[in-house]
Amino acid sequence: MVSRFFQVGLLFLLPLLSGCGRGDWQLSAARKNVVMIEVTSQTWDYRLPWNPGTVSSARGAGFVIDRKRIVTNAHVISGARNLTVQREADPRKYPAKVIFVAHDCDLAMIEVEDPEFYKGTTDLQFGEIPDLESVVSVYGFPIGGDRLTVTRGVVSRIDYNSYTHSGRESHLAIQIDAPINPGNSGGPVMQDNRVVGVAFQGFRGDVAQNVGYMIPTPVIRRFLKDVEDGKYDHYVDIAIRWMPLENPAMRNYYQRPNDGLGVVVTDVYSEGSSDGVLAKGDVLLAIDGHPIESDGSVRLDGQPVQLEEIVERKFAGDTVGLEVWRNQKMEKKTITLRPAEMFSMYESLYEEPPRYVLYGGLVFQPLTANLMAVLVSNADLRLRQTYTLFGQDQLYRETPEPVILSSVLPDRSNVYLTGLAGQVVREINGKRIRTLADVLPALESGGERTVIRFEGDQRPAVLKKSEVDQVMPRIMTQYGISQPHRTELGGRRLAKGSWNRDGEAK
Amino acid sequence: MKHFGIIFVFWAMAGLLCAEEDSSRGSLVRVRASIQPYDQFRPWQKKSPYGLNGTGVVLPGGKVLATAALVANRTEVGLEKPGSAEKCAAEVEAIDYEANLALLQPVDRNFLKGFSGLALGPALRAGDKGEVWQLERNGEMLRNQAEILSTGVGRYPSDEAGFLVYGVRVSLPKRDDSYTLPVLKDGQLVGMMMGYDRDSQEGSAIPVPMIEHFLKDAADGKYEGFPTLGVSWSPLRDPNLREEVKAPKSGGLLLTRVNPRGTAGRAGLREGDVLISVDGFKLDEDGNYRDPLYGPTAVGNLIRTRPTVGSPAKFRISRGGKEMELAGTYDRRARDEVAIPTLQFDQAPKYFVVGGLVFQELTGAYLQEWGDKWSERAPQRLVEYFTFQQDKRPDPEKKVIFLSQVLPSPITLGYQQLSGLVLVKLNGKEIHDLAELAKCIDETKTGNLVFEFRDEPGKLVLRAEDLPAVSEKIGQAYGLPALRRL
Repeated sequence: MVSRFFQVGLLFLLPLLSGCGRGDWQLSAARKNVVMIEVTSQTWDYRLPWNPGTVSSARGAGFVIDRKRIVTNAHVISGARNLTVQREADPRKYPAKVIFVAHDCDLAMIEVEDPEFYKGTTDLQFGEIPDLESVVSVYGFPIGGDRLTVTRGVVSRIDYNSYTHSGRESHLAIQIDAPINPGNSGGPVMQDNRVVGVAFQGFRGDVAQNVGYMIPTPVIRRFLKDVEDGKYDHYVDIAIRWMPLENPAMRNYYQRPNDGLGVVVTDVYSEGSSDGVLAKGDVLLAIDGHPIESDGSVRLDGQPVQLEEIVERKFAGDTVGLEVWRNQKMEKKTITLRPAEMFSMYESLYEEPPRYVLYGGLVFQPLTANLMAVLVSNADLRLRQTYTLFGQDQLYRETPEPVILSSVLPDRSNVYLTGLAGQVVREINGKRIRTLADVLPALESGGERTVIRFEGDQRPAVLKKSEVDQVMPRIMTQYGISQPHRTELGGRRLAKGSWNRDGEAK
Repeated sequence: MKHFGIIFVFWAMAGLLCAEEDSSRGSLVRVRASIQPYDQFRPWQKKSPYGLNGTGVVLPGGKVLATAALVANRTEVGLEKPGSAEKCAAEVEAIDYEANLALLQPVDRNFLKGFSGLALGPALRAGDKGEVWQLERNGEMLRNQAEILSTGVGRYPSDEAGFLVYGVRVSLPKRDDSYTLPVLKDGQLVGMMMGYDRDSQEGSAIPVPMIEHFLKDAADGKYEGFPTLGVSWSPLRDPNLREEVKAPKSGGLLLTRVNPRGTAGRAGLREGDVLISVDGFKLDEDGNYRDPLYGPTAVGNLIRTRPTVGSPAKFRISRGGKEMELAGTYDRRARDEVAIPTLQFDQAPKYFVVGGLVFQELTGAYLQEWGDKWSERAPQRLVEYFTFQQDKRPDPEKKVIFLSQVLPSPITLGYQQLSGLVLVKLNGKEIHDLAELAKCIDETKTGNLVFEFRDEPGKLVLRAEDLPAVSEKIGQAYGLPALRRL
């Protein structure tokens, strides 16, 4: 799914001509506010997690919304080490800094300190979801030249779509047939002098033509509202799976009349918003007062949308009211919404450095989407299955963060261990490994030998502790590793898990 | 072109020619197999038929040896004499897909009268010379000089663990009936070619010890197959690992998994044991024993080709530093007694259609139908069950039943998109095979049939009273010859 999309704006950096063009013509709202963003960013290399990563430069677009803040795509500025913005009317490049980034909906806000930069900008108005077939204009700095470029197209489709930047999220997205090319990312899409979207992703030319996507205003408004309190929270998730209740025998089994309403809850994720409130087999009849059709849709402003759309517009701590048919009784349930942190493994990480533990040439890393992306070509079946079934089987209840022996840096001390790279670590010195944080204490425990056991029928890895202490400086020098480990989780949270903690160290 | 030259030289040497010609005339026969595999995705039907043509070896006594791959999923097998178009149907008397060998018997027992057949020759070593024989259109023999490059345990097309393989260098011209070809030395059969790469001019051959084992087993009319230990193992070179498992000074391999049903498991071997020797042959740290003929050879040959099912097995192990002897009997239960069979040729897939829901029993053959990348393409739950069935050691009687697809019918509204779902229970009762599922459904005349699956949507419901009318219609609408094969 991810590979089908390219992320526009990340791909090309073109030199700018300066000094040409003076702003004495009639500037439209878009031309006053659209900005070119030049980014130098650094991408972590999960194969070499101790390295600061590769530096690359790219160009994208953004727009000033209220004479002081700029909205763009998260993927334009993620990993930014240096950021400059430039307006059409002013050839100067102003340094900018990121204030908020929302990877889950591919939006970010950046700011320029110099008030000079904002001279002549206006308060941009946001519009609603444009009608199908209505014409929109896309502003940006795509490949092919350096000046502001405008393309036009019609609204082709309004539907949920995968947001490829995070890799896990799906939100409302609007498909347009205006060309969207590398460099358009983050630019405004306008209709009647109002912003109706942010251009953000498309297909590679060999997959589909004239298919571009923009982030619609409900998603943008939600982002702007979320950051009002000074920080961005994640999208919230109702954390259930449901199935349409269309089959008559099934309706009869759940004792529901043939009124075309209701869906059945098929799974409730442990630690999710609905954990302990909803149960498998519940029939959901209404959400916040909107009747739920048997295909899972609700009517919102006269339009049929998936019931998740009700949740999409809410924030962490908000509640959602459900009418639930359970045991042949109608019950009212209230769910307090929170992000589904237990699935954070599936989200690509951008800002935070990769975490790892190095031990005698053995590199341990938590299983993440980023790690999977570099291992996938030769990941063995067990690792792939662990990744695939992690959410579905709620493996996070046992191992909130599976730890992988991601590589073995060859050294004369570990010549017999190189074949074990890619294995899922089960225990170290008899201690069950459930997150990366368990690794260091477990390595320090035990006797003179460290024994690492893996899932499946792999042999264990055995190392002499005294030898490891001896070879570590050599390995770190040879491989240019300055820190033997980096384990801080940062702001991210993992699942709490629900294993039996009796007898485990506090 | 080189071979023509060689053959020419042979012809010129008249004295030698007569003897050679006699033996070759009565030794090979064309094998024409008509193949039609079952369609695992539409288990009620077969796929398009096609033909495979190979060369079989006539054995003394009038039976014919060919590779199993040549006659897998056959509808009909025929033999044809090399020099004439005289044909005769043949029955498969014994077949072993793991060892890739098949023994054919002409329906007309007199068909090969006058064929002297080829005797089995001695086992070869690397460096030995031989010939690979092909048949010309006119029935003349084309003898290609061959050299054995290597002898060692390698992969067979339909086997998981490996058997002895000859690596053969030979330049084979394109000829008909080359799907199976014999390797000879001094007029005796020493191998059967089972793979050939035209670019490198190297191929692989099933060596004579495998053929001997196969023929000996088939001789009593009851074919049992090659035994297996039922273990996973790791080399024990790593001195730290040796210390940890208290291995003896030298040699031995580490058992990382032991199937309790297998030869080793029933002899008392356990996970974590160090296997030091088998039947008196010492194993080195890499899992090789010293073969009197081939030198260091992987243990696979020692435990699979040398013994037969039913012969006694002797193990010397070290457990926690203490050495001991364990005895058992070679069998193949670790391979045969599994919930999800790996290999399934010739067998019609089981299925059961109820109201449009199509249930099947999981097999390796079904997963392979998803192509080379089956482990990525097939439903991941099914891949998991199959790949890790040893982890869970399920009861071999407990088959994995799954909903493979839904044929839309008036009562499957809302279920049409479902597939690849493992069935756990019917009406609250665990179901262990397809016959049991069918029986339970047949016995339920009214009320709900609640199917519970391992994954979402969790439950599906049909009304038993709707089934008779719908089932008949589905059979007609989709042209199913039968709604079940149990």
